[in-house]
Amino acid sequence: MGNREGRDQYELDATSEHGGKKNDKKGKKGKKDRNLDELKKEVDLDDHKLTLDELHQKYGTDLSRGLTVARAAEILLCDGPNCLTPPPTTPEWVKFCKQMFGGFCMLLWIGSILCFFAYGIQAAVDDEPVADNLYLGIVLAAVVIITGCFSYYQEAKSSKIMESFKNMVPQQALVIRDGEKNSINAEEVVVGDLVEVKGGDRIPADLRIISSNGCKVDNSSLTGESEPQTRTPEFSNENPLETRNIAFYSTSCVEGTACGIVIKTGDHTVMGRIATLASGLEVGQTPLSIEIEHFIHIITGVAVFLGVSFFILSLILGYSWLEAIVFLIGIIVANVPEGLLATVTVCLTLTAKRMAHKNCLVKNLEAVETLGSTSTICSDKTGTLTQNRMTVAHMWFDNQIHEADTTENQSGATFDKSSSTWAALARVAGLCNRAVFQAAQESVPILKRGVAGDASESALLKCIELCCGSVTAMRDKNPKIEEIPFNSTNKYQLSIHRNANPSESRYLLVMKGAPERILDRCNTILIQGKEQPLDDEMKDAFQNAYLELGGLGERVLGFCHMPLPDDQFPEGFKFDVDDLNFPTEKLCFVGLMAMIDPPRAAVPDAVSKCRSAGIKVIMVTGDHPITAKAIAKGVGIISEGNETVEDIAARLNIPVGEVNPRDAKACVIHGGKLKDMTSDQLDDLLKHHTEIVFARTSPQQKLIIVEGFQRQGAIVAVTGDGVNDSPALKKADIGVAMGISGSDVSKQAADMILLDDNFASIVTGVEEGRLIFDNLKKSIAYTLTSNIPEITPFLFFIIASIPLALGTVTILCIDLGTDMLPAISLAYEGPESDIMKRQPRNPKIDKLVNERLISMAYGQFGMISAVGAFFTYFVILADNGFLPMRLLGIRIEWEDKSLNDLEDSYGQQWTYEQRKVIEFTCQTAFFISVVIVQWAILIICKTRKNSVFQQGMKNNVLTLGLFEETALAAFLSYCPGMDVALRMYPLKPTWWVCALPFAVIVFIYDEIRKVIIRRSPGCWVEKETYY
Amino acid sequence: MSREKESDGGWKKFVWDSEKKEFLGRTGSSWLKILAFYVVFYGFLAGIFIGTIQVLLLTTSSYKPTYQDRVAPPGLSHTPKTLKTEIEFTHDDPKTYEEYINAMDKFLLKYNQENQKDGLLFDDCGSEPGTPIMRGSLDQSDGGKRVCRFHRDWLGNCSGLHDKTYGYSEGKPCFIVKINRIVSYLPQPPQTNDSIPPEAHEKVQPNLIPIHCAAKKEEDKDKLGQVNYFGMGSNGGFPLQYYPYYGKLLQPQYLQPLVAVQFTNLTVGSELRIECKAYGENIKYNDKDRYQGRFEVKILVKVR
Repeated sequence: MGNREGRDQYELDATSEHGGKKNDKKGKKGKKDRNLDELKKEVDLDDHKLTLDELHQKYGTDLSRGLTVARAAEILLCDGPNCLTPPPTTPEWVKFCKQMFGGFCMLLWIGSILCFFAYGIQAAVDDEPVADNLYLGIVLAAVVIITGCFSYYQEAKSSKIMESFKNMVPQQALVIRDGEKNSINAEEVVVGDLVEVKGGDRIPADLRIISSNGCKVDNSSLTGESEPQTRTPEFSNENPLETRNIAFYSTSCVEGTACGIVIKTGDHTVMGRIATLASGLEVGQTPLSIEIEHFIHIITGVAVFLGVSFFILSLILGYSWLEAIVFLIGIIVANVPEGLLATVTVCLTLTAKRMAHKNCLVKNLEAVETLGSTSTICSDKTGTLTQNRMTVAHMWFDNQIHEADTTENQSGATFDKSSSTWAALARVAGLCNRAVFQAAQESVPILKRGVAGDASESALLKCIELCCGSVTAMRDKNPKIEEIPFNSTNKYQLSIHRNANPSESRYLLVMKGAPERILDRCNTILIQGKEQPLDDEMKDAFQNAYLELGGLGERVLGFCHMPLPDDQFPEGFKFDVDDLNFPTEKLCFVGLMAMIDPPRAAVPDAVSKCRSAGIKVIMVTGDHPITAKAIAKGVGIISEGNETVEDIAARLNIPVGEVNPRDAKACVIHGGKLKDMTSDQLDDLLKHHTEIVFARTSPQQKLIIVEGFQRQGAIVAVTGDGVNDSPALKKADIGVAMGISGSDVSKQAADMILLDDNFASIVTGVEEGRLIFDNLKKSIAYTLTSNIPEITPFLFFIIASIPLALGTVTILCIDLGTDMLPAISLAYEGPESDIMKRQPRNPKIDKLVNERLISMAYGQFGMISAVGAFFTYFVILADNGFLPMRLLGIRIEWEDKSLNDLEDSYGQQWTYEQRKVIEFTCQTAFFISVVIVQWAILIICKTRKNSVFQQGMKNNVLTLGLFEETALAAFLSYCPGMDVALRMYPLKPTWWVCALPFAVIVFIYDEIRKVIIRRSPGCWVEKETYY
Repeated sequence: MSREKESDGGWKKFVWDSEKKEFLGRTGSSWLKILAFYVVFYGFLAGIFIGTIQVLLLTTSSYKPTYQDRVAPPGLSHTPKTLKTEIEFTHDDPKTYEEYINAMDKFLLKYNQENQKDGLLFDDCGSEPGTPIMRGSLDQSDGGKRVCRFHRDWLGNCSGLHDKTYGYSEGKPCFIVKINRIVSYLPQPPQTNDSIPPEAHEKVQPNLIPIHCAAKKEEDKDKLGQVNYFGMGSNGGFPLQYYPYYGKLLQPQYLQPLVAVQFTNLTVGSELRIECKAYGENIKYNDKDRYQGRFEVKILVKVR
């Protein structure tokens, strides 16, 4: 019954908060919305406020014997197992269908169906229908199916890598039932169970701690806080996330032991609710799919326009209705760039592969480009911007602040180690320290070694190990006699060692702790190895140093020691830590050591790269504002010279309220403040500050921040590792999960995974994304160009009644044959200029395919190409006896199978088959001419602004593409048997060169255009032709 | 919802934006500029195209095409033409063959006596096959070339002079067969009898390209009956003195030699596949081109 009540109460709480606003009995959808909103709110729990007795009543659990086995089984039956419902995975066939029928594929499918339809009409009218439309329909369908399978395979491959991340080891939990301790599968834990956890365990469910012994938990996956938090039975904070007496599901216990009552299991846990929130969020369209949609609109527009105008024209010209409809369909279908879908898919795949090499694993192909359009990056601090490793950054001794080396590879500056104060400080830090290196790591660099112990002690251990050699040896020489571990009342840690130094006393007392507490216990200070009285001047110096280091966001520890006089403490003296039969005051202050989780080496560069690329970098962290700000300054998220409101207030010495918030470009927002903001206030904040740090944010707030930026029209990339981040990852345009530290849930929700957890990798990703956007433009421009020479033959066939200059087979040879590799090779093209020096593209204005690209590709290059190909066509026919004038209006006779004595310009008579051979030879030549002009088009498409001579021909794949398309064209023309298979015929050498002048014209024309664009930026030519 | 509305409004605004005075996203002057650009651009392109075509025409001979490898070896064509190579008629219903005799009338008009009178244009080349007549070089240097006369009455029963229905009314249909014209082409008569069916051996002569028609299927041989050939010298063949052809420009009045084939005893009511073949050293056949050096017709004579 107990758990029933609890649930009801929870529901009641939840509804009472919103009850005023929303009616419970709305439709199903309303309820769902409400649930989502509710989830976005802070966690609502009250168990932490209850006393143990109340708990006992609520859950019906005996606080020492636990539940009865029978009761536990009963609850398990009614609540279900304690595990997260996996997010509803899309069934494989749905994924497959998405690849098959998404966006571009639909265009091809419609084309294919139209082809079959046209063939149906022809078959109904004609006894011997031309099978071209049937073949075209089949090929179109095949193209979609093959590319669909390919991209499905690609995605399946990356999701397989995802699967491998999953940890399959079942978790165990130690529960007390009927007074007996049992280790059971964590899934069988039920509400009300009494659970014991110890260091190293994962918390099996949300626990209300009832007793603990030095228990610390790592909440980083939930709150992002990297420091372990103490867990005690005391109720310390109204906020369930902050209070000390609740431990959360899926966080881990770092040290100590604790016993608690399970208050929530499975999906009802805080973690479970977040996971539900993530899977309940709707995901927006990727920018690329928006672009592709826009592109399809343009292409369909052009196709329908052409189709309809020629439909009307052909009716005017006296064709029958059915013929006109077949023409209409033919024109519409001819406009479909068959090869483009494959090209885009392959280009994205190639880039995704390249990014994987650079440690960005892309789950969703289209995300590659999304990253390039990113205008805001919301980054975590811990692990992404920082090394996720406490490191000693500063020391204060001899009344001076010394800087320690915090770089990953120890390349930074070091300090003067000769002072004997330093030796004393190192000794205290090494001895008064419980952290030890894990075994068998001699070959690992010191900084990378695993350490057992808390973060600050590990930092000290590594620092001393680096500066002064083996700490273990030091400890062996100065064996520990007694110690008082750190506790929150004392705020210090103390140990007594046998002194190895014969010149000093026999026993040495060392102590470390909160600096002010340590200082209070001292009356002397060590300066240059000499003990000096601790006067006020010295205390001021200490205060200044302490404040300065604290202001850097560093965690400061004070160290002091005292050689215990031999006369009072003879050999074998029994030290008693309970009675304190030794001095703990009037000690000698040695120095301060300050620690921070230092930024990764590559991050400041990456951040400045982002800044020059016009990308806002926002830090969102669960850490303290001061630490957050210090790191933000360190990595350049708050750039030098930019001040927050508080900084300005401090500088001008006026209250914060009097500072004009517009003066401050930077700001640090506390999560508590964010909670009270309306969305308008948030919008205002996001709009007017360029450098923002969110500190002490809860997971749900990250989502609010992302939504805020999206309201500004920004394309947001969000990094995250914890479960708490998954809603934001899902909501963001591109969610970036961490490969090393990330949780499974976050990886599920993300679009991309950083294998090395490094912020700098995102920037590389952005660079690649921008490059692929540019290169896709080029690739599309190249592919579209050949559309005009493909469609004009049909148009002239209709209006001028000349023999068809390019047939379906040859069109497909261009689209799916010769154009393929060159178009793909453009994906390998290097950037034209520094793409990280321009603003992110504005998704509203900068389209992938814009009217300028269409105007260039269709209106200009395509036309020149078509003219060149038609020239070749007329040359061949003239060479064989049909001069151009003879051809006009020849269609009816030409296509008449029973007419076997058609006269040419010289009076020669041609059988049907003979002239068809000529026609197909012409089509082959037309095809080859298009290929030849496409050489030039490919070269000019390498750049949009620079000259080819500036860009060079360094792209070997492209060069290969040039040779490949030529070889393929020659093969198709000369290979024996092609006349039967594809109706392509060998050409005489002179027919190859006819199109060359046009290739040269295209090249020169475009070089001139680019010169104009470079010489006078912003001129009319640029406005009209820079795609 | 709101987004859709926006895009709806956007569409209308795109067509005519009264604020910026933009039609389809461009102002008037912008439209003018881009249209002017395209006019100039396409004008330039058309100029180039016309220029290159002019160059092409200048470099092309007016007497003989550059290549003839696609038109030779010549086709063998027949009049009347057949739709899907089928001729089907009822000999006592004139409507069923009207279209055939009209075609033959039209085709033979050129061969009428009165059209061959001009002595400056026509030569008499005898009435027996002779050697090819060379008329000088293939250009205008010695003016137009004369051509040999071909008398329509040589076609006998198939000339249409006596029987206006070319035998169709009696169920004895005629075909007029010709070798397609090719400039400068000189057919060579067969050297040996090897490739020629025994029935046609008698036709082999030095200056004649023989033609022979036979049933395609072995079992139809009997149903075919008698085949009569009419032409110069009352022999089924094409005499060589009509070759070579000097092209349309030099010999606009050229008459190619004809052979008329008449099937006099076709079995009524059964469809017959008949193949006619011309034989010569430089006459080739091709599986795909059913009119190269031969042709096939299906004839079905019905009775009412």
